[in-house]
Amino acid sequence: MLTAAIIAIIVTMMLALIRAFQGPTEYDRMLAANAFGTKTVLLIAIGGHALSWHSHLDVALLYAMVNFVGTIAVMRFFESRADGDCGEEGGTL
Amino acid sequence: MLGFLLLIAVAAIRLRDLFAVVMLFGIYSLLTAVLFMDLDAVDVAFTEAAVGAGVTTVLMMSSLRLVGRWEKRPMHGPLLPLLVVTITGGALIYGLSDAPLLGDASAPAHHHVAPRYLQQGLAEVGMPNIVTAVLASYRGYDTFGETFVIFTAGLTVLMLLGTGSATDVRPAHSPIADQIVLRVVVKFLIPFVLLYALYVQFHGDYGAGGGFQAGVIFATAFVLYVLVFGNQAARDVMPAVWLPRLAAAGVLVYGGVGTFSLLLGKPFLDYGALAADPLDGQHLGVLLVEIGVGITVFAVVLGIFYALSGRRRIT
Repeated sequence: MLTAAIIAIIVTMMLALIRAFQGPTEYDRMLAANAFGTKTVLLIAIGGHALSWHSHLDVALLYAMVNFVGTIAVMRFFESRADGDCGEEGGTL
Repeated sequence: MLGFLLLIAVAAIRLRDLFAVVMLFGIYSLLTAVLFMDLDAVDVAFTEAAVGAGVTTVLMMSSLRLVGRWEKRPMHGPLLPLLVVTITGGALIYGLSDAPLLGDASAPAHHHVAPRYLQQGLAEVGMPNIVTAVLASYRGYDTFGETFVIFTAGLTVLMLLGTGSATDVRPAHSPIADQIVLRVVVKFLIPFVLLYALYVQFHGDYGAGGGFQAGVIFATAFVLYVLVFGNQAARDVMPAVWLPRLAAAGVLVYGGVGTFSLLLGKPFLDYGALAADPLDGQHLGVLLVEIGVGITVFAVVLGIFYALSGRRRIT
């Protein structure tokens, strides 16, 4: 049961990673990265239980928070590039 | 797992898009944290996840905002650095051939002081989490030194960059920050992040955690506040001038505990002197010392973030 859940999560992570590398727009990549982080939290929680790491839930909780802050930071980064001087760099990606 | 790490490191060196490099290092550090978890070093994994994957990514991102996204071409050829790196790496690998294998019971690390820490730690320090006991009590001097290193590093960054005062650099109003959902969710979330930081701070005696991690998480809550509500709002809550004072206060708490035990006729940082029962004294001492570490780490991390986010972009 746990193994099936872990495999399902890893498959989802792979899909999110593919979207993050391909993703036509920045928003696709950002959503994919965020989904990847969320799945990582689940993976730590379930995998930690399966491998009986102790205090894995603390780490999962911490990572959930870190992921949220990171996503907002990335959004602000793109925003600050969008509304100003991205001309000389010219990177649209 | 190690292969993954190698792949990411090579990709990070080859890429010139610094934003992608920062993201890759976030994943790199997450994988490292998982490796530490697998080695049953939860405290280290915890620190790695909080510092490496969390705060460093945010700090790097705000420096990218200042310096631009694309790496410039290096002005020198790759040959000399390659030579130096190859020689150093070769020497390190040669040195590694003498090191004992992972988990080898006859390794020197398992014979010198580790058995005593593990067998008598509970009786001498009275703490279930042996990592905290070693870190804050047996190796109190080392941790004191580390706190000083963090303090010095923070002061250096503040001296070089200043805490920044340009409030219009990250204004309170912007398309993302005006999202009502984001504002409400962040407002709800910040108290829980602070609570979690306090839990990590005070639960360090019993489980994974301690001052270093708690300080980082506490600072993360303020970083979140800056990101959504703007620089000025955060500086109203936590003025930038207070951060160097707080950083110094944290070191002072640590040193003060040590000096206090010195005045009571015990060695420096011997917490047994703090209470009638040595075990109570150890508990109190470790708690106070961890609070000092937490305050310093919080002030330094937030100070560096203020310094980076309060500056205009160099053009």
